[in-house]
Amino acid sequence: MRRILITGLILISGLGLFAQEKVEDVISKHITAIGGAENWKKVNTMVMEGTMNVMGQDVSLKISQVHNQGQRTNITIAGMENYVINTPTSGYNYYPIQGMQKPEPMTADDVKELLDDLDIQGVLLDYQAKGHKAELLGMEDIEGTECYKVKVTRKNSGEQTYFIDKSSYLIVRVSSKRKAMGQEMDVNIDCSDYKEVNGIKVPYSVGQGFGTMVVTSVKINEPVAPETFAGPK
Amino acid sequence: MKSKCFSAGLFAIACTLSLASYAQINSASFGALEARWLGPGSMSGRITAIQGVNNEPKTIFVGTAGGGIWKTTNAGASFKPIFDKYCQSIGDLAIDQNNPRTVYAGAGESNMRNSVSYGDGMYKTTDGGDNWTKIGLDSTEHIAKIAIHPKNGNVVFVAAPGPLFKDSPHRGLYRTNDGGKTWIKALFISDKAGASDVSIDPANPDIVYATTWEFRRLPYAFNSGGPGSGIWKSTDGGTTWKRIQNGLPAGMMGRVALTLAPSAPNNLVAIAELENNKTGLYISDNGGETWKAQSASMNVISRPFYFSTIVIDPKDPKRVYRPALSFSYSADGGYSFAEASNEGGWVHSDHHALWINPNNTNELWLGTDGGVYLSLDKGVTWNFRQNLPVGQFYHVAVDREKPYRIYGGLQDNGSWVAPSAAPGGVGNSLWQDIFGGDGFWVVPDLKDPSICYAESQGGNMGRVTIKTGKSVNIQPQQAAGEDKLRWNWNTPLYVGPNSKALYAGAQYLYKSTDQGRNWTRISPDLTTNNKVKQNQEGSGGLSADNTSAENHCTIFTIAESDLDANLIWAGTDDGNLQVTTDCGKTWTNVSDNYAKAGIPAQTWISSIQPGQHNKQVVYATFDNHMYGDNTSYIAKSEDLGKTWTLLKGGEALEGYAHKIKEDPSNKELLFLGTERGLFASINGGKEWFRMKNNVPWYGLVRDIEIHPATHDLVLATHGRGIIVVDDIRPIRNLTQENAAQPVVLFAMEPMELTSGQFGGSGFPGGGGWNGGNPPSIPAIQYYLKDRVMSGEVKVDILDKDGNLVQTIPGTKRKGINRVYWNQRMKPPKTAEGGVKMDFAAFTAPMVLPGNYTIKLMVSGKEYTQPLVLKHDDRSGMSLAERQAQYDASMKLYGMQESLAGFIDTINKTQTALKAGLEKSQNKKTKQMAQEYLDKSEALRAQLLATKNKSIFADEKRYKEELSELYAAIAGNEQAPSNLQMQRIDESAKQMVAFQNEWSKLQAKYQKPVMDALAKETGVAVAGK
Repeated sequence: MRRILITGLILISGLGLFAQEKVEDVISKHITAIGGAENWKKVNTMVMEGTMNVMGQDVSLKISQVHNQGQRTNITIAGMENYVINTPTSGYNYYPIQGMQKPEPMTADDVKELLDDLDIQGVLLDYQAKGHKAELLGMEDIEGTECYKVKVTRKNSGEQTYFIDKSSYLIVRVSSKRKAMGQEMDVNIDCSDYKEVNGIKVPYSVGQGFGTMVVTSVKINEPVAPETFAGPK
Repeated sequence: MKSKCFSAGLFAIACTLSLASYAQINSASFGALEARWLGPGSMSGRITAIQGVNNEPKTIFVGTAGGGIWKTTNAGASFKPIFDKYCQSIGDLAIDQNNPRTVYAGAGESNMRNSVSYGDGMYKTTDGGDNWTKIGLDSTEHIAKIAIHPKNGNVVFVAAPGPLFKDSPHRGLYRTNDGGKTWIKALFISDKAGASDVSIDPANPDIVYATTWEFRRLPYAFNSGGPGSGIWKSTDGGTTWKRIQNGLPAGMMGRVALTLAPSAPNNLVAIAELENNKTGLYISDNGGETWKAQSASMNVISRPFYFSTIVIDPKDPKRVYRPALSFSYSADGGYSFAEASNEGGWVHSDHHALWINPNNTNELWLGTDGGVYLSLDKGVTWNFRQNLPVGQFYHVAVDREKPYRIYGGLQDNGSWVAPSAAPGGVGNSLWQDIFGGDGFWVVPDLKDPSICYAESQGGNMGRVTIKTGKSVNIQPQQAAGEDKLRWNWNTPLYVGPNSKALYAGAQYLYKSTDQGRNWTRISPDLTTNNKVKQNQEGSGGLSADNTSAENHCTIFTIAESDLDANLIWAGTDDGNLQVTTDCGKTWTNVSDNYAKAGIPAQTWISSIQPGQHNKQVVYATFDNHMYGDNTSYIAKSEDLGKTWTLLKGGEALEGYAHKIKEDPSNKELLFLGTERGLFASINGGKEWFRMKNNVPWYGLVRDIEIHPATHDLVLATHGRGIIVVDDIRPIRNLTQENAAQPVVLFAMEPMELTSGQFGGSGFPGGGGWNGGNPPSIPAIQYYLKDRVMSGEVKVDILDKDGNLVQTIPGTKRKGINRVYWNQRMKPPKTAEGGVKMDFAAFTAPMVLPGNYTIKLMVSGKEYTQPLVLKHDDRSGMSLAERQAQYDASMKLYGMQESLAGFIDTINKTQTALKAGLEKSQNKKTKQMAQEYLDKSEALRAQLLATKNKSIFADEKRYKEELSELYAAIAGNEQAPSNLQMQRIDESAKQMVAFQNEWSKLQAKYQKPVMDALAKETGVAVAGK
């Protein structure tokens, strides 16, 4: 029984409330909950570091992003450095841990699939102006938490469904359609432990099936060298 | 960063007011107890609809009788369920081929057999099945066909036969013009006759054909046929209709399957069920204005109420397919038929769905009572898809083996047994078929694990030797002076938990104490013995159909008390609930008593649960759906059936009730299986909630067992195979007091040290479906009243001295959370800069037996529980051997870490040298620095693999050798061998030699080189 259904009275008013809720209102309240549009629009770079426990071993992660220009994820596993780079026009994977001898270019489809991810201010901020479409599909229980279910059809990179906590308006889960090895699959990312950094709220716990990244630092608007996103020479 | 959280990098790495007091505990509280779907996939279940996307024919939707909708996007290499939050019985599917992400689904199968389920109307998705919206026709219960206008996807016809067991105004042919927002009843005949088929002329969509059907089922009889049946045509888009039966034999009509040739739509084919043995295939070449008889071969005319599929090739109007009892095809428009070959494998009998890829009409997808088949040669030979676990079990039982075995009988598909766990998981190949026919009760002998009992429809029962699969018939026989025995379709075959005796029920109850070799009748006729309900030979309507499915006035359920072997309950299909307290000498019928609680007379007593904590207590479920009443009736008596209370509070129960199960440990915990889901109550049935923990929300839960040793909840579903919820103790233990706390870390029972239950090669045998395994090591479990949105959750494991052994990231879900500790420390730090994957970095020594502490941290607050780890010789080694393994592992662990430190020192020195070399101009200094660098690199290259060539180039240096030795010892559950111990000593000596070499290098170069560089460049240099 959802908490909203605790009493008949709340049931009725609860449904009434939902009937009036519009997707733009939910998104607007979400943006407010994570620091507001004004603060987010100031975000041009973000560097996030953290660790993930994989089979007892700490894997260290560093994600460097420049708004709409590039992102690079460095993954250090058992002393081996791996990375993924993507920009609006190119991308590279380098996983020596999988036996790769040199960075391998991404396919054009992969680059396009990651294109909207380069928007570090997020797909939901000014989603209409950015060419995305959003639809409120109702409420859904995510691991016991009542959430708004907002489906976003992104301009370039396929569908995402955002599950936004009904009480805090923070994102609990993002479910994305990804294409991998010719197959479409759903990838869920669970977000929690939101903390304020430079006026915006960022999840310090980011879970993705095989592990959870525990974020240790987030730096906003500090310089990121352009060569960070350069491919192999 | 916000919502998108983080990038592709990681993805790639792994590729009511009264309710207020109980509101905290519900299905969401137990969401972490995710059910396993065991299948099998090797024996699937009834398929009711198959539709592919014409312009993307690898995408196919499959509708099932009781397993919802499954979708493949890879031509059947894999399927995913996409309808798990809705009604699981599917009548038909239709894709808007102009916009193929729009799919309509009609809930409620229309293959009107005795065991058919019911639906709740129409659903629609506009995103390929990710999200569904209910769009009406809620009371139709059964939907036979959906037809979408070929040019306007908002115009849809729905043929609804309507309810099977009662009169209803909700039958007929419906039409929507607005994509399902509103519905018009386009053709209505009567409360007794609904619509059973519809086709739209693709060339002229104003022309619509429909068939209507009058039918009715009772618990003890079926009738197909009546004045309401007919074939109809509209030429104005379904507004007005006329019968088109010219040329068909006169007389009463039953069910009619009708289709048209897509490439020549004036050509119609109909299989009409007709009076006076005139059932056959009829064709029309003028849009139904006149008809001509063609084939009446057995497969064409078999069971018209059940086999209502006829399909014409999309391109060839003469190629007609008749999937029915078998698969037959005609190349001459339906005049003559040939049968599919069994070459390469049997194609399951009983067919209900066929999709032909219009781009490649050799490719056919067939839906049978045993799953989905693919043909690439126009139906001549077939390949089975082994990855759709949609079997329809009636009952489930478990034995006491380790791992325990699961037994169950499948609709149309025999009796099966499989282990609950196995190396590599419970795959298709582990399922053993042990008895034929339709399967129902399969029960293990509780004294002899080599034996079980199984049956087929109508009480044909056998004792089965599991190892060989051989069986002998043990069915009790009619004795002198007795009535002819009446056996239910689903005859109860039961082993008493207390007496361990075997019971079977006809109208009399029988008991055997020698494995069914001999029987004692221990009751009189326990049924109403109403002769009106015993005329099964006249059942079927226009086509006789007497398969024991309508046998009536029989015993349907048997239950012996766990507490008293003389206390036995028997329930019948005609409303009698009987009890004996003296092992059958005297019987009391309590049916009048339960009726006083508001339960209708004549219901099927679907299950009886004698109280396991108090023998005066009994629970029962009552199924009245065959009288048109789908209400969930569950009642409890605390005085051996004299007075009854209906249990119906909490979340609204749905679906007629099949099974009530009382938890053996917690008398307040009850589970209920209905035709519409699994429900639980933690307060003795006062309030119920629907279980959604990876159990299809509206799954057809026919039977429930709780394993006494593993505490697993085992479900027999009628459409999703066997489902297991491993270890339900958290449900037992979550009291109201606990639920009110923000955080509860549950106490742990002592745990045995183990590296896991199973091994395995990683090469799955058999393919198809795999139901996985339960966790090998018990979970650490905690309860969170609310999801943690701010703050960290982690679990620290501390040894007896309080030292940190391991840290495990915690989950944050509302309700029960489960994390797993592998009983190991953290892996060693390993050296950086190598070019080979170092498995030692992921291998940690297993800890020793002893006392540990679990420390749960939630947003900065600590919660602790003690944990005792025990050694067990059954792990494969003695305690002394375990200690030896630990000591050796720790020695190597230390060597790994010192090597990491050693290499780190060299790395730092080399970094400093390289920096100095770039800046230095002094030739002598540069020469000396280069020498130092080269010699240090020569040493480093002996210490670890440095040449990045290929993953297939097996470059092994000291580190790799050490890792291999370490992983072999720490990763194995055995004492190190003598040679391994020698290797440790050798490795230690080698390490000393390497360190000596480094010391010599350092003595020679470190101070002079670094001093010279510092002096020249002014840079303080690191390195020892």
